[in-house]
Amino acid sequence: MMLVDEVRSEFTRSRRRGVLIGWLGLTAVFAALVGTLLPGIVADGPGGPATGPGVSFPSLTQLQGSDGLTAGLSTGAAMFGVITLAFWAVLTASDHSTGLIRLLASAQPRRWRLLVGKVLALTVWTAVATVVALVVTLGIAPAAASSAGVDTSAWSSATPGAVVTAAGDLFLTLLVWGVIGLVLATLTRSAAIAVSVGAGYVLVVEGVLSSALGSLGDHLPGATLTALAAGGTATVTHATALLSGAAYVVVGLGAALVVLTRRDITD
Amino acid sequence: MPAITLDALTRRFGERTAVNALTVDVPQGGVVGLVGPNGSGKSTLLRMLLGLVRPTSGQATVLGHPISAPARYLGRVGALVESPAFVPGLSARANLLSLAHLRGLPARRVDEVLETVGLTGRQREPVKRFSLGMKQRLGIAAALLPDPDLLLLDEPTNGLDPAGIVEVRRLLRDLGSSGRTVLVSSHLLAEIEAACDSLVVIRFGDLVYDGPTAGLLARGTSHVDVLPEHEADTAALQAVLRAAGWDVAATPAGVRVEGPDGVDGAAVNRAAAAGGVVLRSIVATRDSLEHVFLALTGSSDGELAAARTQAAPTTTPAPRSRR
Repeated sequence: MMLVDEVRSEFTRSRRRGVLIGWLGLTAVFAALVGTLLPGIVADGPGGPATGPGVSFPSLTQLQGSDGLTAGLSTGAAMFGVITLAFWAVLTASDHSTGLIRLLASAQPRRWRLLVGKVLALTVWTAVATVVALVVTLGIAPAAASSAGVDTSAWSSATPGAVVTAAGDLFLTLLVWGVIGLVLATLTRSAAIAVSVGAGYVLVVEGVLSSALGSLGDHLPGATLTALAAGGTATVTHATALLSGAAYVVVGLGAALVVLTRRDITD
Repeated sequence: MPAITLDALTRRFGERTAVNALTVDVPQGGVVGLVGPNGSGKSTLLRMLLGLVRPTSGQATVLGHPISAPARYLGRVGALVESPAFVPGLSARANLLSLAHLRGLPARRVDEVLETVGLTGRQREPVKRFSLGMKQRLGIAAALLPDPDLLLLDEPTNGLDPAGIVEVRRLLRDLGSSGRTVLVSSHLLAEIEAACDSLVVIRFGDLVYDGPTAGLLARGTSHVDVLPEHEADTAALQAVLRAAGWDVAATPAGVRVEGPDGVDGAAVNRAAAAGGVVLRSIVATRDSLEHVFLALTGSSDGELAAARTQAAPTTTPAPRSRR
């Protein structure tokens, strides 16, 4: 059952300079962007900025609280998520577009092992991306908050546990985003379609659906991802978000597994 | 035990039958050529043997195991199917290393196969900078990684220069003579003729020939062109050769001698001498494999011909030739 060979193989293939610089670089850039702009946006008005699809700004009170140091992680979670979805999709779809899947399936005919190895390897890269986002956020947040006149005196009481929890919530959120990308790429064998459908649904389409579905909309993927990243929202508890996220991962990977193992490889 | 057995193996894609009830045994050891026009089903057949595509009906075994259980035999099979496929941004070595990891092979195996195909000096370069020929070599290297008992190669000399083609031909011969089985698909009939001990010829998914290469070549015609020393002896020469049972015709090159079972130049020379005619030249010519192949499979591009005859009923497979 040990999947070391499959994980090593996927690591070797994914450890490309362009991919890693792109994924981790974009994550760092967006973390810096969010970290820099967030305090100013939140401090601008008493009502706080309006939230939108995939965007959840903290209030000024929340930003000044002990958890404010890592607020940028949940605010930028959708951006990080789209990046993660994109790279999971690219690293999945490219196996088909290059025809590499022929070699992979010939070397390892138990295709479920290929899928699981890929998921495990990409999970590790996602953890690295999470650490990058965390490091940049922690580095930028104090200076940006000070520059915007936000009181950060409570930030010094932030415990390492709270920081790890915030990073953990982001990691789990990115994991769900990534699996969405992998599943769509496996089904469509196209990174472009996977990214446009995945990001488009979560950021745009779900907003429309939520309006029609009422409270049921709280369990849709986008709402789940937002609640997961924020450690829970007013309408979705953290535990509910964890369960829903896990369900999406299991169902999604199950579908990908069935398609990958049953489909003829004509690429 | 044959390396590969096919028993009425069939694959349809919708209305199109890519492989039609193929029944063939590929013996262990040696080099077997798989030839056919474009669209004849060669690649589909190779994909079925590799477990990439499921057959519609029929059965097959590879190294004694059913193709429904590829995990039982693919560890001993190496393959190059269609164009070589690698991660463009990775080096040649990294690409092979990822495949070696997947097969549980040590890194030194990568070094060995790179040396075999002559890419040791270019192993650190990204594959996207490789020429077609170099990618082809890398594809062959990937096929050799598991030190396979069975090699399935689809157009292995594609893109190679003449020296590279000779190298691959020698490699195939060496592998075949070492007890391994090599099934090579190629359009380069001269290479097939030079490298393969036996042939499987398919056309529009149907088996057309299965047997020794020499047996297929024997189906072709051979003729001998002779010139008498004195032009005045031409008529006498024709009469002598007709009396010996050959078909004789005058040509600008002299006298062409043909027979239903081929023509032996030495026999023509003896007949002419017995008839008192001295020959100035004897030129023996045999039909090439290409000529025989085209006569067998048609001279049109396979896919174009298939499109033109799309409504035609499936042809009855030709009877197998005895080995």
